[in-house]
Amino acid sequence: MTAHLAIAGLSKSYDGKVLALDQVSLSVRRGEFVTFLGPSGSGKTTTLMVIAGFEAPDAGSVTLEGRSMAGVPPHRRGIGVVFQNYALFPHRTALQNVMFPLLMRSAPKPVALRKAREMLDLVGLAALGDRHPRELSGGQQQRVALARALVFDPALLLLDEPLGALDKNLREQMQLEIKRIQRATHVTTVFVTHDQSEAMALSDRIVVFEGGRIQQDAAPLDVYLRPRSGFVARFVGDSNLFPAEVLDGAAGLVDAAGLGRVQVPPGSAATGAATLLLRPEALVPAGDGTPNRLVLRVEDVVQFGDSALLIGQVGGVALRARLGGRQAQGITAGMDVALGWPPEAAHLIPPE
Amino acid sequence: MIWLGWLVAAFVAAPLLVVVPMSFSTAVSLEFPPPGWGLRYYHAYFADPRWTQPTINSLLVASCVAALTMLLVTPASFALVRHRFGGKGMVNLLLMLPMAVPHIVIAIGYYAFLADIGLLQSFAGLVLAHTVLSIPVAFLVLTASLKGFDRTLERAAMSLGAAPWRAFLHVTLPVLWPGFAAAGLFAFVASFDETVVAIFISGANTETLPRRMFDSIRMQADPVIAVASTLLFGLVALLALAAMLRRRAGGRR
Repeated sequence: MTAHLAIAGLSKSYDGKVLALDQVSLSVRRGEFVTFLGPSGSGKTTTLMVIAGFEAPDAGSVTLEGRSMAGVPPHRRGIGVVFQNYALFPHRTALQNVMFPLLMRSAPKPVALRKAREMLDLVGLAALGDRHPRELSGGQQQRVALARALVFDPALLLLDEPLGALDKNLREQMQLEIKRIQRATHVTTVFVTHDQSEAMALSDRIVVFEGGRIQQDAAPLDVYLRPRSGFVARFVGDSNLFPAEVLDGAAGLVDAAGLGRVQVPPGSAATGAATLLLRPEALVPAGDGTPNRLVLRVEDVVQFGDSALLIGQVGGVALRARLGGRQAQGITAGMDVALGWPPEAAHLIPPE
Repeated sequence: MIWLGWLVAAFVAAPLLVVVPMSFSTAVSLEFPPPGWGLRYYHAYFADPRWTQPTINSLLVASCVAALTMLLVTPASFALVRHRFGGKGMVNLLLMLPMAVPHIVIAIGYYAFLADIGLLQSFAGLVLAHTVLSIPVAFLVLTASLKGFDRTLERAAMSLGAAPWRAFLHVTLPVLWPGFAAAGLFAFVASFDETVVAIFISGANTETLPRRMFDSIRMQADPVIAVASTLLFGLVALLALAAMLRRRAGGRR
């Protein structure tokens, strides 16, 4: 029993027909930052609400610090929640918002005041404690909500798409802030998002949800490089997927649609049907020693400055390749470009 | 189009433009335009218990009506906005019914009913009847503000350690306070200027201001009635203005 938070066999249906959650099980270690990633309606937020105690599961259990949460109302769970719209109390100042959980726990006022000030200081809002929420920017409100959810030393911090309402620059800035604050407080954190880059940037571990089920539960890089299903490969990052046939698993010989015979690391898949994943950035301009080669008929070039995305076809199959800015110099639509990739850069997804 | 707007506004305000100047008149009877200006009718109004007593009665009745209305409408509004239950549509309809039924019908109904239970011409009977009339108004205002309330605020409060009743006390109530105030105000005003039911069921000791005015104008065209009208309008306008200023102050914060 090393799990700080353990969820076992959670199932829930709102209408008795469609399962919002279908046998969801996972565990989170103390101090870990875990992200629930998935499209809307995938069950990630429902799982969060079950953990917080706002939704009751039809089946399954939630255990926090070894204590079953069955029948424990939200206000006795000691879980900090940051809501999507922050849910700051509009009639209280930032400082009063942060003091609220302490006063609800009957902390003496001077103690509550000191702790709330310290927490506002930690989130970088020491000077704005007297402002009401409506006088604060979105990013500042976000910080107050975070301070309020952390000030009472919660056993767990839940964040429900907290960055969804912010613009892109602010969102990236707040990602770093959340990471910094989480490291400073060591709080065990579950973060819900539909943004895969956010999940990659923040998490120790990513749990990918789809259709009320967990698709994959692994470290961010594992999810990216070794997705367990086509859905995960498509949802996390840009991907090229080819229907494939593993001719000889031991030798790593694969026949992929449009690519022909390609080499993968020996022993990486069982002989039989599979899907070959080739991330766009795995492709490089082909040199003499490149074992896997293809010729891309370029239809479009999208320039990003630091890199460029080549969109085209190979053997009648669509393919996207991302080259470094300098490697892509001189490549224009209509050209044929020879590209290759090392065997270990491709990944085989077993049939579902 | 703008002048048309002003025309409608003038049309709506016309009775006031007549009544308010008449209250400052020196004329012996109701007369417009006033031949001269003075405060003698204000002196007459405040010196005469036949005017001051009904004024006090009206304020008392309206205060009790506002309190009783809020006591009844608050739980009803929460139930109807937040919960699903059988017959919900029916309950909604019944609560709004007093607004649709002509006052004279309600007045006659109460006249018979209150006589049966011995509350005719009593303070309690009048408060009861006025409360029924105030309920739809307060209910409309309160449900509107309740529907606009973000319930994640309550969830947030609970996640922060507040038991449901404390979340209500510390978050729901303060956030909805302007809605409660407005609903109470409307209930107060609905009772304060109600005439028809008051004529039927208020007695000699519980005579309200509008009833006194009605009796007065029937007997004689006493210009003091213009003072009563002006004061009645003044109070209602003052309450509305206070509510408006409060909202504006709230918006600026």
